[in-house]
Amino acid sequence: MAELHIIGQIIGASGFPESSLFCKWGVHTGGAWKLLSGLKEGQTQVDIPQIGEMAYWSHPIDLHYSTKGLQGWPKLHLQVWHQDSFGRCQLYGYGYCHVPSSPGQHRLQCVTWRPVGTWQEQLAQMFVGGGPQLRSPDLIYSGADRYRLHTEAMGTVELELCIILRHFDRYGVES
Amino acid sequence: MTTNNPSVFLLMVNGQIETANFPEYDDLYCKYCFVYGHDWAPTAGLEEGISQITSKGRDSSQSLVWNFPLDITFKSTNPFGWPQIVVSVYGPDTFGNDVVRGYGAVHVPFTPGKHTRTIPMFVPESTSRLQRFTSWLMGRRPEFTDPKVVAQGEGREVTRVRSQGFVTIQFNIVTKDMKKLGYDVTPAEQTPAGRPAGP
Repeated sequence: MAELHIIGQIIGASGFPESSLFCKWGVHTGGAWKLLSGLKEGQTQVDIPQIGEMAYWSHPIDLHYSTKGLQGWPKLHLQVWHQDSFGRCQLYGYGYCHVPSSPGQHRLQCVTWRPVGTWQEQLAQMFVGGGPQLRSPDLIYSGADRYRLHTEAMGTVELELCIILRHFDRYGVES
Repeated sequence: MTTNNPSVFLLMVNGQIETANFPEYDDLYCKYCFVYGHDWAPTAGLEEGISQITSKGRDSSQSLVWNFPLDITFKSTNPFGWPQIVVSVYGPDTFGNDVVRGYGAVHVPFTPGKHTRTIPMFVPESTSRLQRFTSWLMGRRPEFTDPKVVAQGEGREVTRVRSQGFVTIQFNIVTKDMKKLGYDVTPAEQTPAGRPAGP
């Protein structure tokens, strides 16, 4: 079977209305993929940056997959949250990116978005925070039901991933 | 010495912890260590080290220069658990006690060649206001008991950190036998149609 290594870091995020951010992440794959070792989901630390507005997480990712087919190539999905000084958490963005399919080092910029409510909800959000969240987080990485959503742009998450392939060429897979 | 059927690949890491940038602090030194998975073993070189204390230069860039050498070789059968370098920076506070000024980690680059990495450095924050007050009173700030936690992905959701500087590291990477073991680390090159004929 062909093997895939995904090694790297979730570096951090910028462009969000406030810093003091953390990120919940996970990797979604098709049925043919088997995780041999590593963590496929996690949560980063909360960073309160002192210089600049970018929050740094330096969160390591190290995954080892084996696969029988190419369908369902791994996707990384992210949720960026803001934690205020009282420890309350508020959703700041959803995003996903495909894990690159060519071997080597990749720097990825994952754009994020968040759902927008009605104007009453937006007004309430301005004063008390909070805001709408997705009931089923698999909408982050599927395109099936998105047309019912109204969203707004949020910041970007920066990732650095190295892809190592093994024995893909043995099956004639070119990447 | 050549072997046709290697069972391990080698990763040679040369480089230096070059400079740091901490706008608020001065007179800093750093420690480094490598964190790697079960299949990995160092074959030569130093796994950890501690640098000199350096002060800021007089030029406008205000960077702290360590120029501290790294030189280590690893062997492994499996890229899982690829080595990470963990750097922690310490310096004196106003009373002269050594306190931590930043932790950071980055994976050793994967592809052969020269690489420069700038890693963000962060310190843990007190979780409660009471702790923040007592740490201010005692002049001791929170630290990680083991800096190696910054190279782990587990258990980080409970930490609040403050990032306050950067460290720049240069790496020179040489790998051996990764291709022979079937690992593709670089994109497949377009096979050249024909090399231009030499004179």
